[in-house]
Amino acid sequence: MSPAAAPEPNLLTQEQTRSAAANIETFSYDNRVVRAFAIATVVWGLVGMSAGLLAALELIFPGVNLNLQFITFGRLRPVHTNAVIFAFVGNGMFMGIYYSLQRLCKARLFSDALSWFHFWGWNAIIVAAAITLPLGFTSSKEYAELEWPIDIAIAVVWVVFTVNLLGTILKRRERHMYVAIWFYIATALTVAMLHIVNSLEIPVTLWKSYSVYAGVQDALVQWWYGHNAVAFFLTTPYLGLMYYFLPKAANRPVFSYRLSIIHFWALIFIYIWAGPHHLLYTALPDWAQSLGMVFSVMLVAPSWGGMLNGLLTLRGAWDKVREEPMLKFMVVAVTAYGMATLEGPTLAIKSVNALSHYTDWTIAHVHTGALGWNGFLTFSMLYWLFPRLYRTNLWSPKLANYHFWIALVGMMFYVVPMYVSGVTQGLMWKQFTPDGFLQYPNFLEVVQAILPMHRLRAIGGTLYISGAVLMAFNLYKTARAGKFLPEEEAQAPRLRGAAPAEQPHPWGHRWLEAKPLTFTALAVLAVVIGGLVEIVPMWLVKENVPTIASVKPYTPLELLGRDIYIREGCVGCHSQMIRPFRSETERYGEYSKAGEFVYDHPFLWGSKRTGPDLHRVGGKYPDAWHYRHLFDPRDTSPGSIMPRYPWLFTQILETNSLPARLKALRKVGVPYPLSYEDGPAEKELQAQAAQVVLNLKTGQVNASPDREIVAVIAYLQRLGKDIKATSQPATPVATATAGVTTAAATAGAPTPK
Amino acid sequence: MSVILILMIASLTLALVFLTCFIWAVRSGQFEDDYTPSLRVLTEEQGTPEERLEPSSSPGTRPEDLSPQANRT
Amino acid sequence: MELTPLPPVVGRGRRASVPASAGQRCDGICGEPEMPVPELLESLANETRLKRQPGGAGRCFHCGEPCADRSFARNDKLFCCQGCLLVHELLEENGLGQFYALSEHPGVRVRARGGQEAGHGAYLDDPAVQERLLDFTDGKTSRVTFTIPSIHCVACVWLLENLFRLNPAIGEARVNFPRREVAIRFEAQRLPLSGLVSLLVSLGYEPQLTLGELEKAPRDSLSRRRWLQVGLAGFAFGNTMLLSLPGYFGLDQFNGSWLKAVFGYLSLVLAAPVLVYSAGDYWRSALIAARQRRLTLEVPIVIGLVALYLQSAWQVLAGQGFGFLDSLTGLVFFLLCGRAFQDKSYQRLAFDRDYKCFFPLSVRRKTAAGMESIALSKLRVGDRLVVRHGELIPADARLVSGFAQIDYSFVTGESEPMLLSPGAYLYAGGQQVGGSVEIETVKAVSQSYLTSLWNHEAFQKEQGDTLNTMVNRYSRLFTVAVITIASCAALFWSCEGQWPRALKAFTSVLIVACPCALALAAPFALGTALRLLGRLNIFLKNGLVLERLARVKTLVFDKTGTLTSAHSAQTEFIGEPLLPEERRWVAEVAGHSTHPLALGISDLLVCHSRNVAAAPLPEKAKETEKRALRPRFVERAGLGLAGAVSGHEVRLGSKRWLEQSGVPMPGDGSSPAGPVCLALDGKFRGSFRITSALRPDLALTLAQLSQACEVFLVSGDNERERERFARLMPNAELRFNQAPLEKLEFIRELQLAGKHVMMVGDGLNDAGALKQSDVGVAVVENVGAFSPASDIIIDAARMSELGNLLRFSRQVTRVVHWSFAISTVYNLAGLSIAAAGLLSPLICAVLMPLSSVSVVLFASGMTGWVARRTGLGLRHIPGRAALGENTQTTSQDPRGPVVPLHPQPAI
Repeated sequence: MSPAAAPEPNLLTQEQTRSAAANIETFSYDNRVVRAFAIATVVWGLVGMSAGLLAALELIFPGVNLNLQFITFGRLRPVHTNAVIFAFVGNGMFMGIYYSLQRLCKARLFSDALSWFHFWGWNAIIVAAAITLPLGFTSSKEYAELEWPIDIAIAVVWVVFTVNLLGTILKRRERHMYVAIWFYIATALTVAMLHIVNSLEIPVTLWKSYSVYAGVQDALVQWWYGHNAVAFFLTTPYLGLMYYFLPKAANRPVFSYRLSIIHFWALIFIYIWAGPHHLLYTALPDWAQSLGMVFSVMLVAPSWGGMLNGLLTLRGAWDKVREEPMLKFMVVAVTAYGMATLEGPTLAIKSVNALSHYTDWTIAHVHTGALGWNGFLTFSMLYWLFPRLYRTNLWSPKLANYHFWIALVGMMFYVVPMYVSGVTQGLMWKQFTPDGFLQYPNFLEVVQAILPMHRLRAIGGTLYISGAVLMAFNLYKTARAGKFLPEEEAQAPRLRGAAPAEQPHPWGHRWLEAKPLTFTALAVLAVVIGGLVEIVPMWLVKENVPTIASVKPYTPLELLGRDIYIREGCVGCHSQMIRPFRSETERYGEYSKAGEFVYDHPFLWGSKRTGPDLHRVGGKYPDAWHYRHLFDPRDTSPGSIMPRYPWLFTQILETNSLPARLKALRKVGVPYPLSYEDGPAEKELQAQAAQVVLNLKTGQVNASPDREIVAVIAYLQRLGKDIKATSQPATPVATATAGVTTAAATAGAPTPK
Repeated sequence: MSVILILMIASLTLALVFLTCFIWAVRSGQFEDDYTPSLRVLTEEQGTPEERLEPSSSPGTRPEDLSPQANRT
Repeated sequence: MELTPLPPVVGRGRRASVPASAGQRCDGICGEPEMPVPELLESLANETRLKRQPGGAGRCFHCGEPCADRSFARNDKLFCCQGCLLVHELLEENGLGQFYALSEHPGVRVRARGGQEAGHGAYLDDPAVQERLLDFTDGKTSRVTFTIPSIHCVACVWLLENLFRLNPAIGEARVNFPRREVAIRFEAQRLPLSGLVSLLVSLGYEPQLTLGELEKAPRDSLSRRRWLQVGLAGFAFGNTMLLSLPGYFGLDQFNGSWLKAVFGYLSLVLAAPVLVYSAGDYWRSALIAARQRRLTLEVPIVIGLVALYLQSAWQVLAGQGFGFLDSLTGLVFFLLCGRAFQDKSYQRLAFDRDYKCFFPLSVRRKTAAGMESIALSKLRVGDRLVVRHGELIPADARLVSGFAQIDYSFVTGESEPMLLSPGAYLYAGGQQVGGSVEIETVKAVSQSYLTSLWNHEAFQKEQGDTLNTMVNRYSRLFTVAVITIASCAALFWSCEGQWPRALKAFTSVLIVACPCALALAAPFALGTALRLLGRLNIFLKNGLVLERLARVKTLVFDKTGTLTSAHSAQTEFIGEPLLPEERRWVAEVAGHSTHPLALGISDLLVCHSRNVAAAPLPEKAKETEKRALRPRFVERAGLGLAGAVSGHEVRLGSKRWLEQSGVPMPGDGSSPAGPVCLALDGKFRGSFRITSALRPDLALTLAQLSQACEVFLVSGDNERERERFARLMPNAELRFNQAPLEKLEFIRELQLAGKHVMMVGDGLNDAGALKQSDVGVAVVENVGAFSPASDIIIDAARMSELGNLLRFSRQVTRVVHWSFAISTVYNLAGLSIAAAGLLSPLICAVLMPLSSVSVVLFASGMTGWVARRTGLGLRHIPGRAALGENTQTTSQDPRGPVVPLHPQPAI
């Protein structure tokens, strides 16, 4: 008996070795692009968080922006959200996907060219966002603020990513597609669709466009997108990453792989429908609201299935958790996911939403997810990846531990005060005195009441950022200590379909080359977008027949004023949607009707009331009040935390694009009379401007009619008036005559070039 | 609310895409073995950094030494 | 036989027991098959896997077995044997070192098996064999799937899937861990199948190559269809609900009239495939039932579904709403989930094995040319075969030369190996121990004494009572009732003259009565029960077994291997006590034999001397031990063995063996107490007696059972132990010397007397009885090992749970009946609404899930509670989450309490 004898018959001759290539393929994983995304993640993370911190500070010290328009809260907020969601989480997600995908598929990424196009394209988009948003180029749709050229760029880059993803999957050498890959696919496909459908818009100028949807419809589309963006950009990809990195970090198989498969398909079949819950009690049809509610509640099941699967994977490894910082991050991340996915549906319940909507509760909720789930998971991935990319050990696990605790405390300091403040707001707004008057009729009282919370929140944010800085340093040191391995060699037998049933894909994929596929995809994309932009408006126009006769389109001046309102991101703090509660009707006036928004491209309902609702502000105050208020809010309303808008008083109202704007709006169904834009519109604008100036004079304010402030005031005064004042000279024709007379008075007013 | 129809169409199309994915996956035996894949994930890497650092085992004398380690040395 | 120094024998279970388990590294390892994780977690958590004392020098770096000394050390890594060392070097050289990083001591000890001389696997290259064995081949590349019981950890998976590094002729290899299978693609011209097998063997992953492998049934088509059905139903359910909810939330108030129509039609489209495809199995069985003029539960279900669909279609087309489509899809979805829950399959177990899975695939035939290895299927009467130690007698044969020592324990129940001399008749299935012998077959494999058992008609008829389940008995009444109520309602309203309402009432009764909850009750109760039992290593073929179990009043036990454990004999020494070092000498010598008795003796002495000589031995003793490792050693098959340890002659064997060597036997001519006599330095010292050991804490269970129900003992063994068992099983009828066929007939007689019989057995000789009985329980030493066809496979260590099992089964059936009651209440509530013709989709949509969910919760919850009450729950392993079946905590030994095979001997 000698086992020695055993291998003998299988010793290979040289010739066999040479022909071995026929069967086994040696290839290498591309670590370069992974590293690139990793670095981008860290950098953008710091940027985005800092932007957030600055925004938080501005809510405490309104003067912090030094009266610079580019960093007023209104413009900064989208910078923060975009930087954090699309730059930080986005890059982090691509980092994780490209790292895990290659290894799960036992194949190099489909095409290096595509990978790098993806990387540079995506980060170029982010840079563009970082420039355009402060400049006020925004579509004002939350999480979709970027203007149309960037939207197209996003679509293109995303398609490239999708192609790269699917291509890699097609040429994989591992028969089974690990559950994570399914999550990646879901992300790619769904986000593409959401993005395209939501950002259908009619370009006006290079940096201005109008959503093809109006009012209620726009709102519905926006939040169908808004919710699913959260679902498929912040959740599904990260769940995939969790299913990959958590088991590897814990060196344990996932608790129940079967459950993870069920988790995926359940999630996919439900998530897409939960959107409308963002519009509870709005002018959205009742059934749509309830629909959103029910599906949101149903979502708890799969979400928690996923969370438990994650946590139970660690059972028996808690000793590991104690020493492994990255496991700590994982645990918190998964727990935060569980919390957020339980809280979300709760907020989607109508009665809860009645209280929570428009308050800081929403902020708390999203930050549980963002700081906890996405942030911590990203950190833990980075801590895990860098040592592997650089073939060394983490420079200082101790530091990583500090990061963990600092970040955790920071998160607590952020979230808890926000909950308190949210509930406080909700209650104070709804509080009535025994004899049926609002307890706090002055909105500012509420603002003052929650300021301490905002201070705490800022502290929390600071802590969280400093943690991130520690990480950046730690990772830098790690990189310096180790030696980067750009190409990781690997070997696997080629996947040749054995029996037809086992073909990795119905068709072979030898023919599949990067370019043709990409271009086909892009061509299809172009056709789809073009077609939709053409068809959808046509279709929706007939829907926009006002159900309320007295609702009229905005006058040119009001329109321009509205676009400035959008530019300044007022919607970030001021909602324009009064819900049918006595507390709100008491405070703001008659509740909003769906029919009032038929000419709103885009809708400006808003999702947060840092300041009061403005839907019925028209005619509430004299023009002069608005003038003073916008120049220095503290002047008219002491204690206000609203920033000053001095530039509105100096900048000349830009009217060249007016015709284009009117044409565009007509295309999407706003009934401006034909050839209205060449002549009458301009005249009317002048007239109404003069009117405003006149009104201001009566309020001892001297203003020149060609400033932006005039347009803004005109718009504000128009808000929510149509429905009550049926005899409003809002129709272009009505004001025309008045316009002519005042036109003389304001002759010589420099017409801006 | 014709926009509902747009969303409906978009979503259902996507749902159908996923359904076809599901059908393909099942029929091509993706879910036959709902346990081993979770083990495979743990091993698909060439060990942890620590092990990678230390030089790989003595260069093989046998012709079938096609392993990455051998190639690198 | 050649004298080659064997590795020192340590611990138990090292004996080649039955082939199926032969590959396993250690009996302690292989857990409950659906839950492979324990081993895994253990290895991952770097726990020591083996439940034994480490050997003198430490653990083998490769397989973790204790090493006696450092004789196989390579740069500070210890190895227990040549085999392990070689495998280790092979892996290291081929850059497969990661194998050892993945888990601690991941290797499998490579046994010295006869199998490895050249030409061993020759038969594998025989096209006839290949054609059955290979999954597919195109002449160039072939694909084969092996069952490899020794796959036990993540490292195994990795190694097997990286085989291509060892031989580039090997392509993709995929392991299926739950099934302990590996599918390998390889290039046939460059690597013959035999070569592949011997490569695997050399690595310690010996594929299971039994006659049964040839007829592997192609699996999976079923499971795939079910995944699809559930998935489709789920998809449709989600979306139809989406489309229907707006209706409930008052879509109409908004300008949704046309949306409503769209939604309606969409739902109709979505529901259609659910009705046709997802519910397909219900259609099928309903049609069968109808053809056989029987009323199974599927009948009302299908009627209900059809009613639902038609009613809804009518409503949609008439523009009256969405109808009940969400209820319909949901209903099917839930039903399918329930079925999936009940179809708890233990992938590593087979409940339908016959002798083919026990017999080898090949035999060694002696021809003029010399030895050749041929497929058993090619064996002809009159062939001369060579059967070596541990191999089976493939067919009834006559001993030609050599002293046969046949262990029939698994075949006839005969506990002691038989000494046979040339000319003796050998029964197929016997296992040769000791030297190798030459035999001549006298019967074909399938016609042999034992195997002919499978020609009995008991094996032809499939147990037909699957249709006579509680559910179906219940559903007969149910269906009749529903139909009558429906028609009565219809009749009533038509008498009133309200035709549409009559129609509505008729359909809605059928709809409401659709026994969804009813259909879910049994699956969830039984499914839960199956899972709970599975955690105790008691595996039921399916839920119906539990029902039949509840009716059992009569128990029939086999003795050898069932009540007693075949492979652990209780050895005791009769004679003047031995000194510690004398024990070591005897142990050393005995340890080098392959003979079960010798091994028993060496085990006995080793484990005892370890307890005694715990203190460090004096220097001299150490040296003696070292020298002792390579003793001069002689073994004579059928007689005994002799060896010299540190200058002392040890002689073990039959009386004859001692006398031959001129050892003076004790003066009084009395024969020694035991069969194995011991002489030290030519002086008779006494003899070893071997009695088969009763399974742990079985005595109590037997006593209880023989009070509770009617108990029989039917053994193939001789009368020797009658008194012993008469004591153990009061008021039980004991029958010995029973041939397999007699056992079967005995069971049948009992059944003819109208009794529900449970047969508990282990061996092939019980196969007939197990098959014939209402509930056949196969006892296995370690899970996954061979067991004859049966309804229940129970881990020998869990035999004591039998009583609880019976009680549990009765209570579970009670739970099911209660669930029926509850669902009936729901149906009545619904019926009262429906009969009034007032049923609305909303009511249906609420009632349906409500009833289903509550019944499901009740059924599974109660079952769990009942289990805890019967005491089964108490043994429930802590820390096991209910969600993933394939999970277990590290702390838990899958085999439950470790069984001391030998009670402390009285030396």
